[in-house]
This record gives sequence, C-alpha cells and structure tokens, in this order.
Amino acid sequence: MRRLGGPAWKMALFLAAGGVPLAGNAYYTTFAFTILIAFVLAQSWDWVAGEMGYVNLGHYCFYGIGAYAFAIVLVAKYPVVLAMLFALMATAIAAAVFAFPLFRLKGDYFAFGTLALLPLAEVLALNMVPVTNGSDGIVLPPDNVLGEAYYIALAVCVATVIVTGWLTHVRFGYALKSIRNDEEVAEVMGIRIFPVKVAVIVLAAAFAGLAGGVQAWQMSFIDPGTVFGLNVALVPVAMALLGGSGLLWGPLVGVLLLATMQQWLLVNVTGYQATIYGTVILLIGRFMPGGLLRASWVRERRWLSGLVQEHHERITGTGAARQVSGQLPLAVRPTDRSRPMLECREVSMTFGGNVAVNAVSLSIMQGEIVGLVGANGSGKTTLFNCISKVYEPVGGGILLDGRPLAGLRRDQVAHLGVGRTYQIPRPFGDLTVQENIAVPLMFGEDRLGPREALDQAREFVAYARLDARLTDRADALSPQERKALEFARALACKPKLLLVDEVASGLTPMEIKRFVELIRDVRDRYGITVVWVEHIFSALAQVVDRVIVLEQGEVIADGVLGDVVKDERVLRTYLGGAAQKAAVGHA
Amino acid sequence: MTLEALIQVLIGGLLLGGLYALVAFGLSLIYGVVRILNFSHGTLLSVGGVLASLLYATYKLHPVFLILILVPAFFAFGYLFYAYLLQPLERRSHFESTVGTVLVTVGALLILSDLTAKLAGATQRNIPLRFEAIEIGEIVISTTQIWILGGIAVLTVAMQVFLRKTWFGRAIRAVTQDPVGARICGVDSSRMKAATFAFGSSIVAVAAVLYSMSFPVDPYMGFGLTVKAFTIIILGGIGNLVGALLAGLFLGVAEGLTGFFWKPEWAPALSVILLLLILVVFPKGLGRSR
Repeated sequence: MRRLGGPAWKMALFLAAGGVPLAGNAYYTTFAFTILIAFVLAQSWDWVAGEMGYVNLGHYCFYGIGAYAFAIVLVAKYPVVLAMLFALMATAIAAAVFAFPLFRLKGDYFAFGTLALLPLAEVLALNMVPVTNGSDGIVLPPDNVLGEAYYIALAVCVATVIVTGWLTHVRFGYALKSIRNDEEVAEVMGIRIFPVKVAVIVLAAAFAGLAGGVQAWQMSFIDPGTVFGLNVALVPVAMALLGGSGLLWGPLVGVLLLATMQQWLLVNVTGYQATIYGTVILLIGRFMPGGLLRASWVRERRWLSGLVQEHHERITGTGAARQVSGQLPLAVRPTDRSRPMLECREVSMTFGGNVAVNAVSLSIMQGEIVGLVGANGSGKTTLFNCISKVYEPVGGGILLDGRPLAGLRRDQVAHLGVGRTYQIPRPFGDLTVQENIAVPLMFGEDRLGPREALDQAREFVAYARLDARLTDRADALSPQERKALEFARALACKPKLLLVDEVASGLTPMEIKRFVELIRDVRDRYGITVVWVEHIFSALAQVVDRVIVLEQGEVIADGVLGDVVKDERVLRTYLGGAAQKAAVGHA
Repeated sequence: MTLEALIQVLIGGLLLGGLYALVAFGLSLIYGVVRILNFSHGTLLSVGGVLASLLYATYKLHPVFLILILVPAFFAFGYLFYAYLLQPLERRSHFESTVGTVLVTVGALLILSDLTAKLAGATQRNIPLRFEAIEIGEIVISTTQIWILGGIAVLTVAMQVFLRKTWFGRAIRAVTQDPVGARICGVDSSRMKAATFAFGSSIVAVAAVLYSMSFPVDPYMGFGLTVKAFTIIILGGIGNLVGALLAGLFLGVAEGLTGFFWKPEWAPALSVILLLLILVVFPKGLGRSR
C-alpha cells in the first residue's frame, strides 16, 4: 500500500471531491460543500497561527464580513462574480485595517483582541439595519445554486491547498517561520516584519471572505448569529488544532474528523449540540493541543508517515551533489585602517532612571578586531543593541562606514552590513541548521531565492563545522553547536561589521581556540571588522588589535591589551577595591 | 431628557460598573498569578445568576444565603477546573499550552452556557426582591440598589485588606510580580495557582447574586462580560483593584450614557471599541500593576 499523503493521494482526493455533485444526491453534496468551506477556513487560519505563530481567534469574523458583503451586492441585483469580488475586497480591506491595532499585541493579548472582534461585528451587523437588515438577516434570491456554489468552493479549496504548499518553500513562508520563532532576531536578520504580518492576515482573510461569500450563496440566508456567533466561530480553529497546526495535512485531517462528527450529531442528537461541541473543543485543548498528527501513536504508523511530516527544505537534485568549496560566498572587502568602520559619538541609552550607556564615544577602524570588555552590567550588550537597533539610543549618533544609523529600523541596519550574535544563542528553534542560515541569505542585500540560499548556506555550515547537523532542527543542538550556528548565521548576513557577544564563555579551551581562529580568519580573508565582547582575556589576547573597557556605561580605557591591563582604573574595576587591599596586605 | 433622568442613568451606570469591576477582580487575580486568560470567566456569572434566581424562586432564600451557598460551590468548581483541565497543560510547549488553554476555557464557556440554557431555559431571569423605593425629589432609588452598592464597596475593601494583610494575599501579589522569585522564597506556586483560580471564581459568585438582584441574567450573556472585564483590567492595570474599580465604574457609566444620549443597543460595542482604542494608543495598558 502506498503511504498516505503523496501526490497521487492529493489527485485522488481532488477527483473524488470533484465527482461528488455528479452523484446527484443533494444531501451528500451539501455535506461535502460544508467540508470544503470548513477546510478553507481552518487552513487559512493556520497560515497565521501555524506558520506565523499568532492565534487569531477572530478569523471567523472575516468569513462573516465576506458573507454580508456578498449578500448585500447580490441582493442589489449585481452578478455573482461581482459579488464574490466584493466579498474578497471587503474582507481584505477590513483585515488590513484591523491589522494595525491587533499586531501591536502578542500572545494571549492578541488572541483576546481578535476574539473581541466577533461581538463587535455582531453588534454592528445587528444595529446597522439599513445595510444589514439587523436581526432579520438577509434573504438571498431563492435559486438552487448548490452545484455552482460547490464548484466555486472547490476552486477556492484547491487555491488554498496551492497557497499552503507555496508557503512551505518561498521567501515569504520563511519570513513567517522566522517571526514564529523569534521576531527580534527575524528583524536583525534583515526581515521587515510588519508588512509580512499584514500581508499574511490579509491573505488569510481574503480566503475566509470568499468562503463566506460562497456559503451565503448556497444557504441563501444569513443573519448575525450564523456568521458571527461565538459557538460557530471557533470551530475552524478547533479543526485545525485537532489535526495539527503547522502541519501540511493537519487542518484537513481535523476538518474531516470534526465535520463528520458534527454531521452525525445533527442527525442523531437533538439538542445539546453546543455542549457536545464544547466538550470536543475542551478535550482537544486538554489532551492534544499539538494535534492528532503529532501524537506518538500516529507517528509510529508507517502508512501515516506521509501525513505527519514537517516540511523542511532539503537540497534536492544537482545541489546535493555539489561539493562545498571551502570558500565563503562573501565579497572580499578592501580594508583601509585609517578609515573608521564604526563611530559612536556620545551614544546614551537609559532604562527608566538607569543609565546603561552614558555618552560613549569610540571608533573602530576598517579591518580591526577590537575586544570590548567590562564587568557585568557595564553596558557592553546594550551598546550592541543600540548599534543593531534592538534599542533606539536616547542620545548621540552612530555611523557605520560613514553612514548615520539614526532613524533606521533593525532590518535596514542589517542590510547596511551589521551582523550580530546573541550572548545566549537565539537560533530559530524549529528550523533546520541549513534553513537558519538561509534566512539571512534570503533577506539580505542579495535577496537570494530560497533554493540558492539553501545551497549557499551549506558553505557557512561547513565553515562553522556543523556539516553533520545540516538537516537537524536547531533546538536539538548542543550549546556549543548553537554558538557555532549563531556565528555562522551572523556571517550569512554578509556583514561589514560583525558584533560577537560572549561567544567563548562556557566553552572548552579547544573550542575557544576554534572561535579565535574563525574570528581571525573572517577578518584576514574577507576583511570583516569585528567587535568582540568577551570576559576571557586569554582568548582576546590571541587575536585583538585593541581593547576598549566599559565601566558603568562609560569608556574608561582604550588601547592595546598590554597597556590596558596595567591601567589603574581597569585594575580596580576588574580586581575590585577589596582585592587590591588584599594584594597590598600580602605585600 | 431631564436632569433627574440623567442622574437616574448615572446611578444605574455606577451600579452596573461596580458589578463589572467585581467580575474583573477575579479575572485580574487569575491572570496575574496563573498567566492565563480564562475565556469562561464571565460565563460563570451568568450560570451563577441563573442558579441564584432559580434558588430564590423555589426556596425564597435571602440573597445572603444564596451567596453563602454559591461561594463555596464556585470555589470548588474553580479549583477542580484548574487542577484537572488547565494545570496539566503547563508542561507543554509555549504554543501548545497557549492554544490548549484557549480551547479548554472556550469549550467550558460553550458547555456552561448551553447546559444552563437547556436545563433552566434560555429566558432572562432575576431575583425579584421587593425593597422599598426611596424618593429624593424626582429621583427614585430602590433600597436594593443601595444594598448592591454597599455590597460592592464592602467586597472591594475586603479584597484590598485581604491582599495587603493576609499571607495568601501577599503570596498572590508576590507571584503576580515575579513568579520565579516567589517560588525561590518558598511560595508553592502550583498550589497557589489553583487556589487563586478558585478564589477568583468564587468572587464571581458574589457578583452573580448582586447582579441578578437588579439586572436580568441569561445563559448567553457571559462572554460579553468577559470582554468587559478584560477591558477593565487593561484600563485599570493587572492586579490593581482600585484601578479596576475606577475603570469598571467608568465603563458602566459610559454604557449608561451611550444608551441615554444615543441608542442602548450600541452599548455592548462600546467596551470592544474602547479595548481596541486602548490597545492602539497604550499597548501596555494604562494603570501600573501592583
């Protein structure tokens, strides 16, 4: 038996769905129609939730807006095509407008804000009587359009499947996956996230709007309760989650199961539908919020394994055979030691009353490797965050290669050539090592296509000696491998200036030696300027041209390592007053 | 449209707003300690209100007795609900525990309102207490309203004292501010969470009895209340009871005035619009959490 989930299965499903109305049984056709609509809703919800990680509980609201828009235009005696178009436009515009307040929220707050859209829409539909006919609802022309509506729904459904497949391997899809994992890092890797968020919710809403329109046509009656009611609104969400959010086949499996159950209940149980439905939703939430297809007893069935795969791109065809060249695909930058790469002029950053960085001025020359040291809390990482625009400094100016960074976003700074690592590595956990590195390649200045980016990523993976982990998920890596991945990913931003944050802490001497070699190599071979925050002086001593010491947010020393370690203030900072006294006492 | 009518509307608004605030207190405590949004919180009020009305109609129990019956019942319900349905989700990944919590509480919402409607009927009910009317000029205030306002005031003060002076109240505030720190200092956070969930639910029981003394309740009104309570805690600050009380009174009066100057059917939209507006202008909420 062929495994479920292959292309042949998709084709068979499609043909079976297309043949349903030919059987001429209105009951089955209506049931299949319900499934198609539910699938479009569940799957389009999952583009926002499963792919981008935002739980939009008000998705059904767009279905309702589409239904109303369609009904209003159709009742005004315009053709169906126009009505569908209007349903699409109205929902897309509504989604774009709602996106602005809603995307200021995260997590639970986003879920709640979106859920509140439903009662709002219901009140609007009830009270805008001249447009919506209030609680009486809208009666559409009583034509039997089941057949036509069915094929439109099937077309929308096929488009949904195509978009879902498309999202797994295009640049836009990788932007969604990066946002799901870590928004800040996604921005630092060069992704401009707000347009991506708006685009995906508009896309999802447009599909929900089409579903609403075609359903209104088939039912030939809508009222506020049926299209905005809370008890129906969460059903598509429950379906997607039951199957498995974020899995290609998850929403479909959930839709088939729950819709069948719903139909059975309608026929066999009078009353208590909402109770039974609520119980099902509750049990799904309690026992398998990850979905049926993630449950271990499903994963172990080989014939089901085609359904449960997560889609991680692997190099296929010619790319796989190509040998890694050992040469990173980076332009070799000429360096002029007399010209500054980074200039900070009186940069200040405060948090409430706490001055973390206090009027710091420093310059880093092209092709230099500079160590940035200081006690914990002295402002090193905050300075990095000011340069990469994780924080907007409250005062002063920063110039990169002569260009002021004031007013730029994180992604713009990344495009200008700032690459950075985090002290505690923040890889995109559910992407593979290869995909992690492909993200900055896709969204950098070169804007590579996903295929090229994944291919190029192998060079960086090899450079960081992670070849054996190429297709493993990043959250399965050891701490040391994460640091290596973080370093390689920063290089994949193709930076002029590399900000390295405590990459050596917690590593063995051998591993530290590796990193020192890498840092020297990127400067010597590719002309990348490096600023390295580190506590381990022995590591710095092997490679840095110069050391800058921060204390309480201010620069207290700046010079070659040998001089700096003899400086009075540096000694006091590093050894402390007590240690100094102790030293005197012993003498 | 006289001044007396306006004052009447304002009193009604204050009353309603105070009751909203009581619902919000529970949600606020639960959100502060357990860090989950209980979508079925307001539905507890509609269930409690229907139960209280039925008990009153059948046994003519005094509202104080109704409160004494419902509070322990809701406490037990909240404790078991959290311990068996929500707490196990904490061990899952972030995304799974978020959606799991949402599904469990939304499922509970659907079950509670549907069962109540099926068993007790979907009609509106209340506790038709006969109290004397007090007339001050043209303004008529019933003693019921005074009792309710008094009840809200007593409960707010009692809650405040409880949170500031008792061991449990201090533990709630500690966990709200810093769960890890509280655990390091010996607060058993998992039992705290269940107890807080139960405590927050039992406050709703009091609110339910007071509510049904002057406004009709029905099985499906619950989610609207949850939205209002959430708007109130965003306005007033999570864990800030005084802020929640002020925000609740503001919302109640604003709804009353919407009905007075415009149309009462638009009043339910007010809280959602207010919520969206606050979120746009002050994404971190207005009040400082305490």
